[in-house]
Amino acid sequence: MKKLILLCLVLLLSGCVEKEIIDDINIEVGVGYDLAEDPKDRYRGTVLFQEFQPDKSVINRTFSGSGKLRQDLLLEVTKQSSEPVVTGGLKVAVFGPEISRAGIYDLIDSFQRDASIGARVFVATSEGNAEDLMKGEYGTRGNSTYIYNLIHHNIEHRDIPKTNLHILANDYYQKGKDPSLPRIKKVSNNEVEIVGISLFKDDKEVDILPVKDMFFFKLLVDKYSEGNFDVELKKGKIAAVKSISSRHDIKISDNHASINIKIEGIIREYTGDELASEVVGAVQKNLEKKIEKECLRLLKQFQELGIDPIGLGQMKKSMQRDFDYKKWEDEYKRLGFDVKCNVKIEETGVIE
Amino acid sequence: MKEQPIPERLQISPFLVFYMVMSIQIGIGVLGYQRIIAMDAGYDAWISILFAGGCIHVIIWMIYKICDTAGGDIVTAHKYVAGNFIGKALSAIFIGYFILFSLTVIRTFIEVIQVWMFPELSTFWFSFGFTILCVYIIFGGFRTVVGTAFFGLVLPAYLLLTFGWAIKFSNFYNLLPIWDHSIKELLTASYHMSLTFIGFEIIIFFYPFIKEPKKSQKWAHLAVLTTTLIYTILAIITFAYFSEDQLSRQIWASLTMWKIVEMPFVERFEYIGIANWNLVILPNVCISIWIASRLIKRVFNIRQKVGVFFVVAAVLSVISFLDTRIKINTLNNYVGKMGFAFTFIYIPLLFAAVMIAKKLKKGKKK
Repeated sequence: MKKLILLCLVLLLSGCVEKEIIDDINIEVGVGYDLAEDPKDRYRGTVLFQEFQPDKSVINRTFSGSGKLRQDLLLEVTKQSSEPVVTGGLKVAVFGPEISRAGIYDLIDSFQRDASIGARVFVATSEGNAEDLMKGEYGTRGNSTYIYNLIHHNIEHRDIPKTNLHILANDYYQKGKDPSLPRIKKVSNNEVEIVGISLFKDDKEVDILPVKDMFFFKLLVDKYSEGNFDVELKKGKIAAVKSISSRHDIKISDNHASINIKIEGIIREYTGDELASEVVGAVQKNLEKKIEKECLRLLKQFQELGIDPIGLGQMKKSMQRDFDYKKWEDEYKRLGFDVKCNVKIEETGVIE
Repeated sequence: MKEQPIPERLQISPFLVFYMVMSIQIGIGVLGYQRIIAMDAGYDAWISILFAGGCIHVIIWMIYKICDTAGGDIVTAHKYVAGNFIGKALSAIFIGYFILFSLTVIRTFIEVIQVWMFPELSTFWFSFGFTILCVYIIFGGFRTVVGTAFFGLVLPAYLLLTFGWAIKFSNFYNLLPIWDHSIKELLTASYHMSLTFIGFEIIIFFYPFIKEPKKSQKWAHLAVLTTTLIYTILAIITFAYFSEDQLSRQIWASLTMWKIVEMPFVERFEYIGIANWNLVILPNVCISIWIASRLIKRVFNIRQKVGVFFVVAAVLSVISFLDTRIKINTLNNYVGKMGFAFTFIYIPLLFAAVMIAKKLKKGKKK
């Protein structure tokens, strides 16, 4: 009798919640936001779906809509889509240039509030409309996968600092630190590339770092950095150095921050005749000098903009009880910097 | 009226107390306690967890002393101190406490399901199914309840490892500088840990069911030590993972941390985690319903099976009325406060009373 009741319950209660069968829903995998032209609406959103075909190819399908809230956009999109729209598979969110300058907080808050959105979503800014960017045809595995992988491997092996939705929110809410996001651009209908780093003050974009500064930026911001860098030597000779690991160590005293950067790298390419040990020494010296100069320049630039993407304020807080962030804002403006860099070239390749 | 001793075939081995205590402590509180304590003591709050955990050991020692002296559970202790009638009246209060406790656990868990997975899930029907399962388990007797506690702790234990993913995105500098808050703030945070820590007091209700109860004391202490360590480590990971203002917005910080988990075969780990949490919740509800019904039997001399139905009916009739976050939160706060009052104020008082009664009775015999 008891077993019979249990059996009945299993059968009856299984119909209690709404089912979502994967073939009968549209999974939002990417989304782009722009400011709406119509002043009544705030956002224009473009939602990207991937339709998997029987021959394993992927069709990118985009729907656009305008609205005051993210949910309005979804509603608008649902009106156009033949299947119900779910957000659980979101991988990439791109913000257009105007919206990044106007502030992205509301949307970030909405992402965080939505239980179905993961923390590993990549958030990026775009040069040019986010809508256009979403509407391209990149690669064979779908736009969202393409952009996701593009950013992912550049974090792992190149010059983009570690980023995702969680880190963005973490930096945004962290006092004494400002967020930064990778910036991508649609080059042609089937090409998209990374064009720099957007620097934010609170939730508003205030400056853009060009690609040539990204290596130095990552050295300052991220714990470990891999990246490629060209070193010019005398007589127009060039060596390509690949950093295989880097560490930074920041010490802050009352009105001075000293930053120690340690890099272990290998030489990948050299345009001269022989890679003698003097040359290696020269490469090390030049690279050290270059890094010290460029990092210092970046730090000064951040100071002028009044932003702190490195989190010096947070670092100072961790060393001092009863820390006052208000006072720190003043102190930061007067903070002096010095950067020390130590490069160690470990290998020079398989030939000498 | 002499009390019947519990026959040995119904009793449990002393080491099973470890699973009983731990499985009732770990429940719904652990899903979101980090924010509550960080509101008081910021990122120093992990010290408060250790402090609260330390205090509990004293209470455990008192519980064993009370039960040992009175020679039975809390009802016996009440009778020992205050006589038959008042003793039973005092014990009857705890029926309400454990009904509320099970209500809180079920309702909060359903809220989690509704917010994270299925907003349209019916509160009543889910709790109906869940409590039927509990009734089925409780009808199997106390030893079945203990078995559920064992599996409800061991099977989902792997979930602890999943918080490792968050470490990769953690910044342990967040915790520095240590001791940035006043003692008062730290103590408030310890106080607010109560909802997460309460549950260990159940020993006072099933004491007669333990074989060689004195041997079980070390297991009770070990259980509390383990939960304290788990809570502390989880809090430290959480504090390193979230920045302070960010954490203050997370109602279920532990669940939000699952969002970072990445596995090739599952996109959203929260779904697996929350589904597994059913197993963690099950012994919580079973044990509290069992205790409530056991108290009904002891106080009113009604068959325990009838008592179980009464408790379940009470839970089910109230649960549909708790329909908003604010109401659920208020319920949680109240139960936390009641738990605190019971464990940290009432038990020491009872302890003192039992000790005094013992002295007086000894005096009379002479």
